[in-house]
Amino acid sequence: MRIETVWVGRGGQGIVTATYIIANASIIDGFHAIANPEFGAERRGAPVKAFLTISKEPIEDQEPVKTPHVAVVFDDKLLGAMQFVIDAVKPGGYVILNTGKSPQDAAALVGRDDVNIVVIDAIAIARKHLKLDVPNGPLAGAFSKVMGFPSLQSIREAFETQLGKAVEENFAAVKEAYEVAAVIPAKKVDASAKPKGIISTTSAFLTGPYEVVGWREVNKAGAVFPGSSFPYATGGWRIDKPVIDHSKCIMCRKCWLYCPDDAIIEAWVEREGPRGRKFRMKMIDFDYQYCKGCGVCAEVCPTGAIQMVREI
Amino acid sequence: MSAQLIREKEKIIKQKRIALTGNHAVALAVKMARAEVIAAYPITPQTPVVEKLAEYVNNGELDAEYIPVEAEHSAMSAVIGASAMGARTFTETSSQGLGHMYENLPIAVGMRLPIIMGMAVRTYSAPINVWGDYSDVMSMRELGWIIYITQNAQEAFDTIIQAYRVAEDSRVHLPAVVAYDGFWTSHVLQPLDVPEDEEEVIRFAPITRSWVKLDLDNPAQLGAVGTPEWYWEIRWQAVEALRGSTKVIEEVDNEFGRRFGRRYGLVSPYMLDDAEIAIVTYGSVYGLVKKAVNKLRSEGVRAGALRLRVIRPWPGDLIAKYLGNVDKIMVIDRTINHGGPLYGPMATEIATTVQRPVYNVLATIGMRAIDSDMIYEAAMKVYRGLWAPGVPYTVGLRGGYE
Ligand code: SF4
Ligand code: SF4
Repeated sequence: MRIETVWVGRGGQGIVTATYIIANASIIDGFHAIANPEFGAERRGAPVKAFLTISKEPIEDQEPVKTPHVAVVFDDKLLGAMQFVIDAVKPGGYVILNTGKSPQDAAALVGRDDVNIVVIDAIAIARKHLKLDVPNGPLAGAFSKVMGFPSLQSIREAFETQLGKAVEENFAAVKEAYEVAAVIPAKKVDASAKPKGIISTTSAFLTGPYEVVGWREVNKAGAVFPGSSFPYATGGWRIDKPVIDHSKCIMCRKCWLYCPDDAIIEAWVEREGPRGRKFRMKMIDFDYQYCKGCGVCAEVCPTGAIQMVREI
Repeated sequence: MSAQLIREKEKIIKQKRIALTGNHAVALAVKMARAEVIAAYPITPQTPVVEKLAEYVNNGELDAEYIPVEAEHSAMSAVIGASAMGARTFTETSSQGLGHMYENLPIAVGMRLPIIMGMAVRTYSAPINVWGDYSDVMSMRELGWIIYITQNAQEAFDTIIQAYRVAEDSRVHLPAVVAYDGFWTSHVLQPLDVPEDEEEVIRFAPITRSWVKLDLDNPAQLGAVGTPEWYWEIRWQAVEALRGSTKVIEEVDNEFGRRFGRRYGLVSPYMLDDAEIAIVTYGSVYGLVKKAVNKLRSEGVRAGALRLRVIRPWPGDLIAKYLGNVDKIMVIDRTINHGGPLYGPMATEIATTVQRPVYNVLATIGMRAIDSDMIYEAAMKVYRGLWAPGVPYTVGLRGGYE
């Protein structure tokens, strides 16, 4: 038995830790495991991936995981950009998805009926037990449930050795996820079928497809020509989005001043005055293409006009 | 009708003879080459270069930005930045200073910047020894810089000028270091032929500004992240540029010879045609080696010598050609490769190039003086079969090591 898995999520969601925990717990259970995170120059919120292989036999080969048995997806908004990860899952394999959506809606998002889909609202569970948006513990719990290993007891021990803190809270989150994870079984599995794609084993997949060119064609000295960050719609990194109640907003623009992503905009809107006259006036709005959902605006707003609303 | 190509035979330009120390010769070459940005920190034994250049800039003889940095790490950073802006740059270092700037050395290569660095070589601490051996420059062999090792003040002067032309050639675009003996060249006053008309230098090595640089009209990011799917390709360009620079180095040396009347080659051979024993070395002691060869010849030993002038790129073909038929090759290394296969870096490289064992001798460590008799005696031991190949021997080490 040899299970290959890929874990995709965002910087700060504990993807690497999750693979370490499961690897550690599997080793406690007598398996062999290697967790290979793929490190890059990631920032909080940027897509990251990590690989984990578990086997009954010692693993000497660090083969890249190209067509995993299991994909664990930490953010349902990654499904679009990282469809190739879903495509690469072996028929009959598992997609474990963190989402607040209903199992049916989530399954529709995954868009495959030849894999088992596991749906878990790991954010809600993490918030409940840890008061943090780190869905890795609950996803580890969901993994343990559907795979049948590692044991919950070993996961607890792994938390002790890997984290050494907040063990009880994390373990409570793992246990709850273990109990509530919903499994939608695959409808039809053609075990002989090949996966639709493979995972590129370089970090290029963080930035999407790229043209592979030889060293003679690469820009001299690796010079990068413009170029700007406009195409990187960092709005996809959000867990919560800011929503404004204009009746409370006094246009003090404190939110605009503090937004680290320049995602607060003043939009002109037309409003009808008391006696039917039309006015053009300014209102606060958000540029959801780039708002990363940090919540600073809601924090600084003196009138409480901004609320953060769960998005995944 | 075939066109007849009439080329005016290039005349050797008019020169005057002056006397300067190696350090001041280097500073003068940098001035004549019109470096535009100079950043350096004084460290023995190169200090007079830095002082002289500061003086040139201060009294208006050289129109350059002189950045008095607080340490060598900043010196290299500053010239990298300036070179990336398209300026002709210069810095100079020695020993611990090179160690301090080490982090930035490969950056200059990866960004393909034609920075020229002088180096009055000096050993590394501890114990503190400010004197000349080749520990510093030998420790940067793997980074992709072009490395020249010169024999005297004249050659250091000439090589600085050649280096600008080579480094800025669009087939190269790599940084280059010009090394010369700490004290034995840096502080020794020697005759120096310099062009009467300084303009000749800039005429020979005009600033090309052809390298990858920052430009408002064509904005780009230099030195960006090179993820695993790009880094190797970008680096390989530098590897190939260094390999290809051999040709450019030779071309430039030849043309320099035509215009200035002096050329040096990638290596300098001496009496190797029929030699049965060859002494290979680098830097200022080559003069002593030639003298020892003369003495050996006078006693009927068919001896010869080879001086390594360009060690990166490694002129393997030439070395193999010159040493191919020599029975015994003795390499005098002037730095210790601690615990290496042979104890000297050049001995190791020569041995792989000629594919047979070489006789490795360590000398001048920490600037321990040697004379031509000591070299002669060592060569005699090799010649008579008293020393074995593949074993490190020392010349001048008290207590000896044989
Ligand atoms: S900080 Fe609050 S009140 Fe002030 S402009 Fe922003 S939303 Fe309106
Ligand atoms: S949540 Fe953060 S990024 Fe988004 S608008 Fe508010 S302050 Fe800006």
